[in-house]
Amino acid sequence: MFDLKNVDRKVLDYETGLGRFMGKETLFVKFLMKFVDDKSFQSLKEQIENGECEEAFKAAHTLKGVAANLAFDELAKVAGDITEALRAQKLEEAIKQLPVLEEAYKKVQELLVKIKGEE
Amino acid sequence: MRTKALIVDDVEMNRALLCEIMKDNFDTLEAADGEEALSVLDRLQQEIAVVLLDIIMPKMDGFEVLEKMKALGYLDKIPVLFITGDTSEEAELRGFELGISDLIRKPFKPTQAKKRVNNIVERFTYKNFLEDKVDEQTHALQEQNQILIEQKRRLEEGNVKIIDVLGTVVEYRNLESGEHIKRVKGFTEILAKYVMQNYPEYGLTEEKVAVIASASALHDIGKIAIPDNILLKPGKLTEEEFEYMKTHTTRGYEILSNIEGIWDDEYRKVGCEICRYHHERYNGKGYPDHLIGEEIPISAQIVSVADVYDALVSKRVYKSAFEKEQAFQMILDGKCGVFSPKLMECFKSAKEEFEGFATSISVPHIL
Repeated sequence: MFDLKNVDRKVLDYETGLGRFMGKETLFVKFLMKFVDDKSFQSLKEQIENGECEEAFKAAHTLKGVAANLAFDELAKVAGDITEALRAQKLEEAIKQLPVLEEAYKKVQELLVKIKGEE
Repeated sequence: MRTKALIVDDVEMNRALLCEIMKDNFDTLEAADGEEALSVLDRLQQEIAVVLLDIIMPKMDGFEVLEKMKALGYLDKIPVLFITGDTSEEAELRGFELGISDLIRKPFKPTQAKKRVNNIVERFTYKNFLEDKVDEQTHALQEQNQILIEQKRRLEEGNVKIIDVLGTVVEYRNLESGEHIKRVKGFTEILAKYVMQNYPEYGLTEEKVAVIASASALHDIGKIAIPDNILLKPGKLTEEEFEYMKTHTTRGYEILSNIEGIWDDEYRKVGCEICRYHHERYNGKGYPDHLIGEEIPISAQIVSVADVYDALVSKRVYKSAFEKEQAFQMILDGKCGVFSPKLMECFKSAKEEFEGFATSISVPHIL
């Protein structure tokens, strides 16, 4: 089994995440896997590109929440920054941060592929 | 019994996480948006112990759900906790203003979240229990009060009926016209109200005024015991006949004293006072007991003024009617016996009301 404990803590803070699922690893992994198909990142990207500030805010908010729950710390932090930018209707700033978000998102997805492969 | 926790969040994972935490203590219900939440509440509001509510959701957000719950009166019985990743203070403040019980920020630690929810549910359960108890007792008290009011009403109806019956007896024997009884009652009521307002030392209340006015109808009941040859004699009575006539006061008193058990003692007592003492005068020159001053019960004092005034402004077999102004002066001047100075003050104040009432019931000047 893939050693979850040794992954980069910025990508996934395993201990904290497991704590949120009351130490139930199977449940935690089940929800980690659900994130593979999560649409909030795509949705956020599209809404920002379309200039839909309000819809983008909702998507960013959801992404932030999910990422935070699953302890994707880096992703949650950047999503949080974008959420606040969009709440203040600063679309430019959100666009500026988008590449950083994409980078963090990619790292998470790579990790999830590894975990899935090991299962 | 409230055993269910309603979890409202558009993100499946968030719901699943909360369900996992809450399932030890509650049956969990899920809703993916505000509309769904309201429809669940509509069906199961009696069973829901707590609502865990996300703020930002499609269709209807958490604030709107909260507003609707408040409008429907659910917030009194069901605590709502915001579970939110929204960290703005504005959102928090608005939530508390709308009536949330607490706010839990995402991501949260499961054990703490569980404890907070439990504490709030316990508090609400206790509050609901107390409120139900108070409601129950209030309801019971209201019912008892209703019964008491009904009993009081019946008793009063009974008193009034007895007086009506006795009054009718007097009328039927054609001793006094029905109008005289009505007018004396009206004048008595007016004068008694002035006494109540101006001379608290007599201890009159609205209720006592009503009893006195009602019982005034019986002031001449004793006349049913006076033989017709005296009572209906067209000419002047001899001294002996007049002495006999005077006994209508004590006879009335005896009649009413003997009617026991079917009416309020208060009515009987006042009725007796009025019958016996409505011909007493303040200076002791009345009859039958020659009482002086405040020895005469206030009820009888009031009725005697009302009776004299009506006698003056009405035409009788043996005399014609006086003008209202003249009648007024005659009483004040003591031409019809001396009355209490306090009562005369009231009579002066009540002049217009007396005359207004006399006109309204149209005293028959010509019979």
